[in-house]
Amino acid sequence: MKGLFKISPGYEDVMPQEYLDLVNNGPYGKNYGVDDLGTFKELLEEHPLCAGCGLALSMRLVLASLPAPEDTIMVGSTGCSSLAFTQVAVHNIHSLFGNQNAVATGLKRALKIRFPDKVKDVVVMAGDGATVDIGLDMVMHSWFRREKITTIMLDNEAYANTGGQESGMSQQNAVLNMAPTGKKFPKIALPEVAKASGCAYVGVVSPAQPKRLGDMVRKAILIAREVGPTYLQLYSPCPTNYKFKSRETMQKIKERMESGMFEVMEYITPEAEAFLAEMKEGDKQ
Amino acid sequence: MVEQKVLEPEKLFFETQRTELFITGSEVVKEAIKRANVDIAISYPITPQSESMHLVGDLYAEGYVKEYFRGENEFAVMSEVMGASMAGVRVFTATGGPGTLRAFENFPNWSGSRLPIVCAFMTRGVNAPLSIQPDTIEMAFMLDTGMIMFHAETGQDIFDMILKAYVIAEKTDVHLPIGIFMDGFFVTHTRDKVKVTPEEFKLPPYKPYCSPIPVMDMENVPVRHMRDPFVMKSNFISYAAHASWQQEILAAVERSRKYIYRYLGGMVEVENKNADILIITSGTAVSQSREAIELAKQEGIDVGLVKIKCLRPFPVDEIRELAANAKYIIVPEFNRVGWMCRELKSVIEDNSKVIGAPRVFGGMTMPPKLILDEIRRCAN
Amino acid sequence: MTAKSSYKVLPGPEGYLPPAAATMSVMLPDPGEGLVEGEIVPQEQAINKIAEKLLSAKNPTFFPGPLVLWAWKDGVIEKAVAAKELADVVGAKIIPMPDYRPKYPMINPEIEINPNHPNLTIWHNKIDVCVFVGVHCHFANIALKIIRGGTSCYTIALCGEMGHEDAMITLRDVKADTIRKITEAVKEMKAGGVVSG
Repeated sequence: MKGLFKISPGYEDVMPQEYLDLVNNGPYGKNYGVDDLGTFKELLEEHPLCAGCGLALSMRLVLASLPAPEDTIMVGSTGCSSLAFTQVAVHNIHSLFGNQNAVATGLKRALKIRFPDKVKDVVVMAGDGATVDIGLDMVMHSWFRREKITTIMLDNEAYANTGGQESGMSQQNAVLNMAPTGKKFPKIALPEVAKASGCAYVGVVSPAQPKRLGDMVRKAILIAREVGPTYLQLYSPCPTNYKFKSRETMQKIKERMESGMFEVMEYITPEAEAFLAEMKEGDKQ
Repeated sequence: MVEQKVLEPEKLFFETQRTELFITGSEVVKEAIKRANVDIAISYPITPQSESMHLVGDLYAEGYVKEYFRGENEFAVMSEVMGASMAGVRVFTATGGPGTLRAFENFPNWSGSRLPIVCAFMTRGVNAPLSIQPDTIEMAFMLDTGMIMFHAETGQDIFDMILKAYVIAEKTDVHLPIGIFMDGFFVTHTRDKVKVTPEEFKLPPYKPYCSPIPVMDMENVPVRHMRDPFVMKSNFISYAAHASWQQEILAAVERSRKYIYRYLGGMVEVENKNADILIITSGTAVSQSREAIELAKQEGIDVGLVKIKCLRPFPVDEIRELAANAKYIIVPEFNRVGWMCRELKSVIEDNSKVIGAPRVFGGMTMPPKLILDEIRRCAN
Repeated sequence: MTAKSSYKVLPGPEGYLPPAAATMSVMLPDPGEGLVEGEIVPQEQAINKIAEKLLSAKNPTFFPGPLVLWAWKDGVIEKAVAAKELADVVGAKIIPMPDYRPKYPMINPEIEINPNHPNLTIWHNKIDVCVFVGVHCHFANIALKIIRGGTSCYTIALCGEMGHEDAMITLRDVKADTIRKITEAVKEMKAGGVVSG
């Protein structure tokens, strides 16, 4: 393991417990996944998100599924998730609202120059407002340019951190701040846009299916490493702004699946599929 | 591509044999970047900047720059160079006028994030109405972004300022973005004699781990790190942390002064400083002033000249001292708002002697006679 | 160039929002020099002053930062060991700054220090002299100003790069060797009869 996860001799007794745990029982170099949650020290130390927030759960699941946390650099954007990002034990960038895919582009290309023979996974994780509204041009252009980065949207169907405004991902007719008479157009079909824009892998899933989510995160990152851009949309409506009880988040997602408002989907290009198959073959040998 | 060797900045700047070229300002940008050991350059077209970044693209094709592409707009390009800089490489980009304003949110963000990004600004008018013509109004907006700002008068300034900007920007105690401003068309599109260092030498590479703030590569500590963390809770402790952070940016700008002296030879250049009438300005307004001073001399009027090379940090003490004995200070400018005049008035003790004229804008040239008229008014 | 500064970098509490020393014209030392209370002195003199301050302190405390706490590159362990030895010789407490993330109100000032609210740790532990070592320059400066603003703690910054005007004493280019020189100075003073506060 790299030295950056080792405590200098003589300082072990003064290090706070969270760091001793991270060093002795963290996920670096371990190839852990969602199944291992509860058995190791998670990357997210603490967070100030609301009770029942599906983003917090999605973040934990994503972080637990990183194929190489010791070589992953993340890029976030302003929003609820960024409040938790300060507590994440992988290098991460909060830059401006909406420029996350542009920052990730520069970051990825620079890391390629500095570490040409090393894996350096660049993973963007931002809210729906950052991804589909204010940052859409940069999200799409990173796909058009075939940047080898993974883009994950935490879709809670609103601008939650600023007080519950309508976003491009809100459902049509939803009454929210800035849509006082209801949203006038449907939820943006960003997964379709992602397919058309050159993503090698596109997935939509929710934290109500943690194993599937973990599996899809892993695929998205591995494919981005070798094949091309990938996009993952993680759905969990905001309990605070849609005003349902915090314990009902998962139930709400399930109800929406049953009613057809939300569907899990996966799209993979033949090239990405072949790459995964090849990798599986390699694992066996 | 010429095989290049790394040479210490002091040697490269001051000890190598220079060759004289007769080239445009855009071509000077290329010559400087060729020797700057730049890792990534990212471009976006806007007149009058485009040509310089075409030429930097040629450097990429030849192998002098490791990575290059056209971004999708200026806001994105400035974000892209930011991501690259946070990953620990040396970057370059350029823009101007409306592009500067389109990208604006990034500039204070670069400073706040302590990124040693070097960016050239080929200045032009901003809308409305649309104009692609020379005007320095965008510099008024840039003065309080926390960036270090150099203003080139000549092709020679462009060459020296760009190369030296990397060395100053990357000092651990400074580690801030530097903008090199040049008046669009007047210097970017005109030929000038420029003495360049030998092309077989380049600057040493950027040292990411001398950064005053962690690099985002998962190869340095601490690993639990966000660039750059919010300190925005509603309590005094958070306000105090944010305030201290902002003060540190101001402090870093101040620390650049000694390096500006070391590498650029000072913040101002002065001719005939004891004259009763002084012209103080920057950029190509200085060149026009030189002509006017020559005309005044023929009429027997003695006029001194102060060329300000560095706007941030501002040469406060230098200007105060120079202004103390002058009776009149004329400030010619290529913009409507007179930002240089404001700057000078804010530091000169008796600022009633500061004359904010002549001013031209919208692409107009500044005939030396306009400046001469001001000189005559002062002399009579 | 700017005239020599008359601003003194002294223990606070200096007030609501004390200035960055650099904006008061305090300059960083050149190689071979140190900075004591805003004045440039030979490094040796600064080292002796550090030794004196550490020995006369009631509750000297070291704040090692990430750059020495984690064995992330060659040379770190040697420096970390040297800093630990100095702290031991002085009888100083060690309170780490393992990262820079804002933690308030979750901070446990008993066992950690954070650059965004270092005053909490200093107040809580009644620290009268502190030593920064292995803290990234940007975060050290942020913390040093806050300490000067709100506490009476005497600050010493051992910097691997160019030093810190916002500390009362700073050394630049600090390596394990430099730290061992301070340890030697402390030992000599002790041998000469100076007793720890």
